[in-house]
Amino acid sequence: MMGVIRINIVSNVLIGLLLMLASTTLIADGNKVPAPKGDQCVEDPTWMRTNHFETVLHQRDETVLHGIRTQKHSLKNCIDCHITPNENGEYARYSNSEEHFCASCHTFAAVSVDCFQCHADRPESAVREAIKQHTANGTNPHQDMKASASELILKSSLLSAQSK
Amino acid sequence: MNNVVTKAYKLLRKSEQATDTQQTDQSKRSFIGGLVGASGLAVAPGVMLYETASAKPADQAVTNQVRWGMLVNVNQCTEDCNACVTACNDEHGLWPEEGSSTDSQWIRKLTVKDPTTENTKSFPVMCQHCEHPPCVDVCPTGASFKREDGIVLVNMHTCIGCRYCMMACPYKARSFVHEVLENQLPSTPRGKGCVDSCNMCVHKIDAGENTTACAQACEKDGHQAIVFGDLNDSQSEISKRLKDFGGTQIRADLGLNTGVRYQGL
Repeated sequence: MMGVIRINIVSNVLIGLLLMLASTTLIADGNKVPAPKGDQCVEDPTWMRTNHFETVLHQRDETVLHGIRTQKHSLKNCIDCHITPNENGEYARYSNSEEHFCASCHTFAAVSVDCFQCHADRPESAVREAIKQHTANGTNPHQDMKASASELILKSSLLSAQSK
Repeated sequence: MNNVVTKAYKLLRKSEQATDTQQTDQSKRSFIGGLVGASGLAVAPGVMLYETASAKPADQAVTNQVRWGMLVNVNQCTEDCNACVTACNDEHGLWPEEGSSTDSQWIRKLTVKDPTTENTKSFPVMCQHCEHPPCVDVCPTGASFKREDGIVLVNMHTCIGCRYCMMACPYKARSFVHEVLENQLPSTPRGKGCVDSCNMCVHKIDAGENTTACAQACEKDGHQAIVFGDLNDSQSEISKRLKDFGGTQIRADLGLNTGVRYQGL
């Protein structure tokens, strides 16, 4: 009986410690992410943290199937507002940086999304700038970070394997 | 905490329902608006109906009141010009490797020669945006679909990359993305494992620009061989030209009623 209680206490303390660690990591990571433009998210941030995929999923079908392109819940709008350059003027990439707004949380929570295999993970101006550099160097813009993109897939699959 | 989230979620769903009703109202309004526009047309012919048909608010779904199409005047297209292809690649962020036979090609220039007369013609071929698209017929997941306004698209969220549509298309208009892509433009998301093709610059149309990159480039180069417009509007330039000069469909025998027509072919 005593043993069971002791195990319970130990596990509770462990869970508590883990939670504390988790929250500090999250905050530490959160601090690295460049601040978004504007002061207010399109929805309540607490609600968004839990349900943002619902809005993105809903909007995605509206846009593709019916041509409804309202800004409020569009992925493009999220990216334009949340992905801002760091102090060096560089944009974090989803595939290789936890400073990317989406990656900062997804990496921590071992959530593997494939949005950014097709969708731009930075505002259009940043993509255009990268394309311009490729054109100047005579390289193909599609070939940019092939290695890191496949690394990411490996990394996220490893992460989800660990979480299981 | 959970309760708050559920409440907020319910509220959002409610506001969505409200938007749905609003949308119905708006669609009624736009229908009435269309009628007004049509009756107004009799009084003042020309621009009015065209404007009514083309200005779509961002929160409204596309309707079948319009059917977008293109007319290519083959006589005004020159063999050495590639402006439409370059413009398409720039607009959608397609950078095919030199000499690659598999990289995406949304529009390409064809040169055909009549062996008896030796008459040569050069013209662009892209997705023909059929009224009865074979790609839609064969798609096992429903990813290949025709929008209400006649634009044939791939819903890449449901595309499984089986390439059945590529086999079915008589125009070889579709491509399969074989490799990981980088630096895709926000307006044209595309990636490995999906089929893609000409989307008639759907992002431009939804933004109310009502033109395509290829038509713009052709006009800029002074050829004016591509006319974009609403086939349902008898007052649009494309309809007027089709009425005056006619327009052929490639493989008209298939009865697909293509949205892209050719003049002088």
